[in-house]
Amino acid sequence: MQNIDKVQALAQRLPELEIRTSQEYCQQYGKDWLRLYEPNPCAVAFVRSTQECAELVRVARELALPLVPSGGRTGLSGGATALHQELVVSCEKLNQIRDYNEIDEVVTCAAGTITANLQAFAREQGLFFPISLASDGSSQIGGNIATNAGGIRVLRYGLTRQYVAGLTVVTGTGEIVQLGRGLVKNACGYDLRQLFIGSEGTLGFITEAQIKLTRPPSATSVLLLAVNSIDAVMQTFCRYKKRLSLIAFEYFCDLALAKVTEDKQIKAPFEAASPYYVLIEFEHGSESDFELALSLFEESMDVGEVQDGIVSQSEQQANELWFYRESISEVLASYHPYKNDIAVKPSLVPELMQQLNLVIAEHYPLSEVVWFGHIGDGNCHLNILKPQTMSANEFKQNCDKASHLIFAQVQKLGGSISAEHGIGLLKRNYLQYGRTSYEIDCFGDIKRLFDPDNILNPGKLIG
Amino acid sequence: MKVLVPIKRVIDAYVKVRVKSDQSGVETQNVKMSMNPFDEIAVEEAVRLKEAGKVSEILIVSIGDKSTQETIRTALALGGDRAIHVQSDDALEPLSVAKCLQAVIKNENPHLILMGKQAIDDDCNQTGQMLAALCDLPQATFASNIELNDSEATVTSEVDGGLLTVKVSLPAVVTTDLRLNEPRYVSLPNIMKAKRKPLEEVTIESLGVTLKQHQKVLKVTEPPKREAGIKVDGVDALLDKLRNEAKVIG
Ligand SMILES: Cc1cc2nc3c(=O)[nH]c(=O)nc-3n(C[C@H](O)[C@H](O)[C@H](O)COP(=O)(O)OP(=O)(O)OC[C@H]3O[C@@H](n4cnc5c(N)ncnc54)[C@H](O)[C@@H]3O)c2cc1C
Repeated sequence: MQNIDKVQALAQRLPELEIRTSQEYCQQYGKDWLRLYEPNPCAVAFVRSTQECAELVRVARELALPLVPSGGRTGLSGGATALHQELVVSCEKLNQIRDYNEIDEVVTCAAGTITANLQAFAREQGLFFPISLASDGSSQIGGNIATNAGGIRVLRYGLTRQYVAGLTVVTGTGEIVQLGRGLVKNACGYDLRQLFIGSEGTLGFITEAQIKLTRPPSATSVLLLAVNSIDAVMQTFCRYKKRLSLIAFEYFCDLALAKVTEDKQIKAPFEAASPYYVLIEFEHGSESDFELALSLFEESMDVGEVQDGIVSQSEQQANELWFYRESISEVLASYHPYKNDIAVKPSLVPELMQQLNLVIAEHYPLSEVVWFGHIGDGNCHLNILKPQTMSANEFKQNCDKASHLIFAQVQKLGGSISAEHGIGLLKRNYLQYGRTSYEIDCFGDIKRLFDPDNILNPGKLIG
Repeated sequence: MKVLVPIKRVIDAYVKVRVKSDQSGVETQNVKMSMNPFDEIAVEEAVRLKEAGKVSEILIVSIGDKSTQETIRTALALGGDRAIHVQSDDALEPLSVAKCLQAVIKNENPHLILMGKQAIDDDCNQTGQMLAALCDLPQATFASNIELNDSEATVTSEVDGGLLTVKVSLPAVVTTDLRLNEPRYVSLPNIMKAKRKPLEEVTIESLGVTLKQHQKVLKVTEPPKREAGIKVDGVDALLDKLRNEAKVIG
């Protein structure tokens, strides 16, 4: 029986379920932001409750119909992509925010709640949901949890995991399970909730989450520093982190800045170029924190780490300084870069960059290399730009070879081959560089435990 | 040539302003404050004139409480040479501000007073004009371009459908509009240097000014909330609502 026939059977069993089979729906809902693969689902279903989702999974299991859990489809690893006539199950219409409790500061929201809507809800309560991504106008809380999303404030607020007080999930057998239940403390054995955070739709559907909100930061300011070397970047990080409450510590190389100022037609922030720039956002509850930031700057000038710096005087200027950093990805897109999102311990970033620059210089002498990222988290975005003289095909082949060399270096330094964006389809064949074979075996066992018939996102994350 | 630039500390343009619960004003506690954007443009213009060799000294003046000095330091970091802080814990109406500035001008004899056309908190757009009248100086408002020589300023402003250019003899009051320039970022080395620039604190009394309050704020309220929209089921339902509820069609 073809999958599309199974969907027919499913529709007969669940007449209330919204199912779309048109090309238009399949194209749109069959892919995520990676856009590397040709979408090929057989249909798209929209669930409206945990109950409906559970019924769908039970019937799909009987029919051996593979399912792709789908959120806001802003993922960057192909996790929400359907390549083999799967049924895409969208959480888009499962989107109510309800049951906020002021004492617990916990809000219950359905998985399809748009991240930005949850942020706005928190603000209305005088509180804060700190997970902030460039994609948060489309990404969903379910997707954020399934990828354990990070973003620009991880340094201060941590990853999505920190804010998940409870989950309702539907496993691969159609079981509805409550995990965590919103408790602050619960020392009764294994915390299964943690397994579902970052599970990329392979263990179950997340249908509802209890999210812990937090206090918003007080006034913040943004510094942009012109730094003399990558070692100096790390020393500056050390200096500021020790004394101030840092919200973000980002870096980018001079080439990144040059591409942004050229493409966006904006002024460079400094008269003289320097090898690296650091963007620091810090909280100043009091005037003295601001003074402290100035004296730290003075110190780093004195020892020759930085050569210049500016500070935002208004929210508008803070946004303008962030713009230099946040435009990089978009501006580089026109160079068809080979991108990698890797991480090591922050102290090892200089060594990682040095090693990888050697590898790249040896194998790709023609390519420009752009480095930027959340360096305070040890997270680097490596972008190798396609030389204009090279065909897209040749470049892609080169890059596939490069991946092995790059990931081998990351492995040697005890790093991660995917810092934030997950494994999905994109890095599935490289997982052994980031995890030991023991760990990968455990992944398989866990997967079989929750999804014995492999109907949830088959082929993603693990084979 | 000496230029005097008055500046005001205001709630940052990006902050969502909240009304105090007793309706006596707006909440300023723990709220991001910045230099009034039009004043920032005035400071920038003064600095550019100095860089072009036309101006020799930039004097910053601000009236306000202790925290105003933070904004004054910013202006000094942008390129002001020295500053006068006129202490006042009360919010002053434009005429009072103009009177304080008049007293400072009497002592300092600047050749040019370059100031924002209005402050974004009260949007009054009065102080520059009142100051020119009090000092009996020529005025040119809403400058989008300024040409300066030793004895006069040629000032262009944008008006409906074109440009208006006026020539004023110096000393004069010139108020700045948004398109005059794009202010630079404040560099950290300059902030450090600014700490060593002279900042004189004076009181309103020591300026010999007596102020009279002409206005009293009765209350401040939020604009009425907009009601959320609704989705209608189809064209017929829409027409029905337009006809019978909104009564905008017959
Ligand atoms: C411009 C841009 C900037 C980005 N910046 C960042 C960043 O700074 N940090 C970061 O971490 N990520 C970033 N991302 C990646 C992406 O936005 C995040 O991974 C986000 O959390 C994905 O959410 P989503 O709802 O779009 O999930 P989708 O892309 O729809 O899905 C992602 C994965 O989760 C699974 N999934 C989705 N919903 C559910 C559910 N309800 N139950 C079970 N599984 C589910 C899918 O099967 C898939 O494997 C960025 C993406 C873009 C396009």
